[in-house]
Amino acid sequence: MKAGRAASSGKAHATRHRPGRDRRPGPVVEPIGGGPAEVIGRIDLSVELAPGLRLDNPILVASGTFGYGIEYGDVVDVQRLGAICCKGTTLKPRIGNVTPRVTETPAGMLNSIGLQNPGVDAVIERYAPTWAGWQVPVIVNVAGESVEDYVEVARRLEGVPGVAGIELNISCPNVGKGGLQFAIDADAAGAVTAAVRRATDLPLLVKLSPNVADVRPIAKAIEKAGADAITAINTLSGIAVRPDRSRPLLGNIYGGLSGPAVKPVALRIVYEVAQVVDIPIVAIGGVSELADALDYFAVGACAVQVGTAVFADPTLPIRIIDGLEAECRRRGFDSFRPLIGTALPRKPGASSAKGVEYRP
Amino acid sequence: MRLVAAELVESREILPRQWLQSYHAPSLAIGSRAGQFVHVRPGDFSGLVLRRPFSFNTIDAATGVVTIHFRAIGRGTDWFAHLRTGDSVDMLGPLGRPFEVDPRSRRVLLIAGGLGIAGVRMLADEAIGDGRQVVLLFGAASAAEVYPSNLLPDEVEYIVATDDGSLGHRGYVTDLVTEYEGWADQAFACGPAPMLAALARLAAGRRERLGVAKLGRKGGGRTDAPGSAAARRKSFLQVSMEQNMGCAVGACLGCVVMGTSGQPQRVCREGPVFAADELDWEAGW
Ligand SMILES: Cc1cc2nc3c(=O)[nH]c(=O)nc-3n(C[C@H](O)[C@H](O)[C@H](O)COP(=O)(O)O)c2cc1C
Ligand code: FES
Repeated sequence: MKAGRAASSGKAHATRHRPGRDRRPGPVVEPIGGGPAEVIGRIDLSVELAPGLRLDNPILVASGTFGYGIEYGDVVDVQRLGAICCKGTTLKPRIGNVTPRVTETPAGMLNSIGLQNPGVDAVIERYAPTWAGWQVPVIVNVAGESVEDYVEVARRLEGVPGVAGIELNISCPNVGKGGLQFAIDADAAGAVTAAVRRATDLPLLVKLSPNVADVRPIAKAIEKAGADAITAINTLSGIAVRPDRSRPLLGNIYGGLSGPAVKPVALRIVYEVAQVVDIPIVAIGGVSELADALDYFAVGACAVQVGTAVFADPTLPIRIIDGLEAECRRRGFDSFRPLIGTALPRKPGASSAKGVEYRP
Repeated sequence: MRLVAAELVESREILPRQWLQSYHAPSLAIGSRAGQFVHVRPGDFSGLVLRRPFSFNTIDAATGVVTIHFRAIGRGTDWFAHLRTGDSVDMLGPLGRPFEVDPRSRRVLLIAGGLGIAGVRMLADEAIGDGRQVVLLFGAASAAEVYPSNLLPDEVEYIVATDDGSLGHRGYVTDLVTEYEGWADQAFACGPAPMLAALARLAAGRRERLGVAKLGRKGGGRTDAPGSAAARRKSFLQVSMEQNMGCAVGACLGCVVMGTSGQPQRVCREGPVFAADELDWEAGW
């Protein structure tokens, strides 16, 4: 349905001006001898992911790779980021999985942290006061094992200064459904989204899992249930084996694959989701240079998150922001909006209808 | 913590597939301490997405040179082994918390298993610089893997054990410890996890009659918070731990070991050096 609509949906890339701040695009200077006019002055990189959640730029850092925003403080100017998604937060503290928890794989890595976190109350007490003093929005990534867990965490985050929004990590086993992940079932994904939506007015992002046959019904259910935006993707399920082949390498056996290796999968999912929902899409998966962000914009994302690549290069998100601004300037755009959706099918209906059929 | 471009000035294969590399990195050579480490980025991100942690092996503030010692065992370490003089790498550091030597310690026992020498080597320099006596107990599989004595300061008393008896004591390095634990005021170890666990068992319970405990307490038995530098300084045995790492700054929780408190401890942040009694050696992680 609705091919290309994400690209033209006003909500996905609002350029509304924040009062008191000069966000007017700069004047365009006529080029000498043809070619695009280079833009002098300010380029508008701002993006609105939800009513009340407007980012200065579309480059976020991904949950689980940037802690609580304070760990990289010595080497990264976190205030310049579009937003920070903090580590997955649960109702009760969790000690996480046995080790080893991480290992490198070809062009990627596997992790099985097991959602180690001190619980929502401790997160609020320890970190929110710091976040409240920041200009950069902090989005709390929320995980749970039942709808009630998610709802209760969301309730406790509501109204806390420093909490700009929540991102639901629904790639968690649903105890009420025999451990089946919320993320692989449209009904469960819709139900948890709707319940959290009723419980809070906070901007609500919901994060898709790639470990499903067809992500589109799930994305539609999430949109219908009232999510403000979709983020995609979480990690792909995988394993590694010990060098001596005596057993799987990770303590938890299973891990989540991330990094450049997952980008084609994430790109495909964003491409498919962009054609079936109208809410903004934030792309995640293997972003490691500006070109990756541009690819995601082209298939309909209006923002991207950088995860694994931060480990190798903590300053990468800031360099992508600078690079994006330079790219817009070079191409004569006074905002990054024209970059969005350019690779989506032009004709409605000519979408990737065959998208899933060829897959095993 | 800083991001530093470090230039390779010397690279030597000191043992089969073990490399000692010197990098010019003045801002790391000043203020970094024994036990701390750097997280170094291999060049090719498209293939190798994680940095590699290396202990400071030695640092020389005068020349601005830091050295690292590693075994080429995989694609990342092979990449480093193939670097040429003049090449530059991106180092993040100094990271983690250092060894804490009690100012009253006169006799320092260092225990290293294999490549674990890289974790305690710099402490030998620091301790000698501070006028302490140093004994280094070193264990390896065979003579071919024994750390060359000419890479150690002359003042260090160097005692070797090999599994096959081809050099020094035949058996484990831990066998040698019983002979020296009475002599030592404090012990510092790095090596394979089973070796560290064995040392922790030896040290447990003996703490009150050994080492720094005998030196007499200042300040009337004040108890320091577990894990604090002050508490570590008073412990008999400190160990430098290894764990697979992602970020090395405390953000990803990839690198934990289990603490006696029941809380996972980040090797990159609370460690890599721990007092032996801060860790739960039976937890299996
Ligand atoms: C070490 C690690 C921990 C993660 N923890 C979380 C988490 O707590 N919650 C979550 O929603 N995603 C988590 N993720 C997934 C990332 O947010 C991201 O979706 C994924 O890594 C893909 O992006 P990347 O290829 O840029 O890393 C984690 C990823 C890594 C590597
Ligand atoms: S390596 Fe990331 S927390 Fe230690």
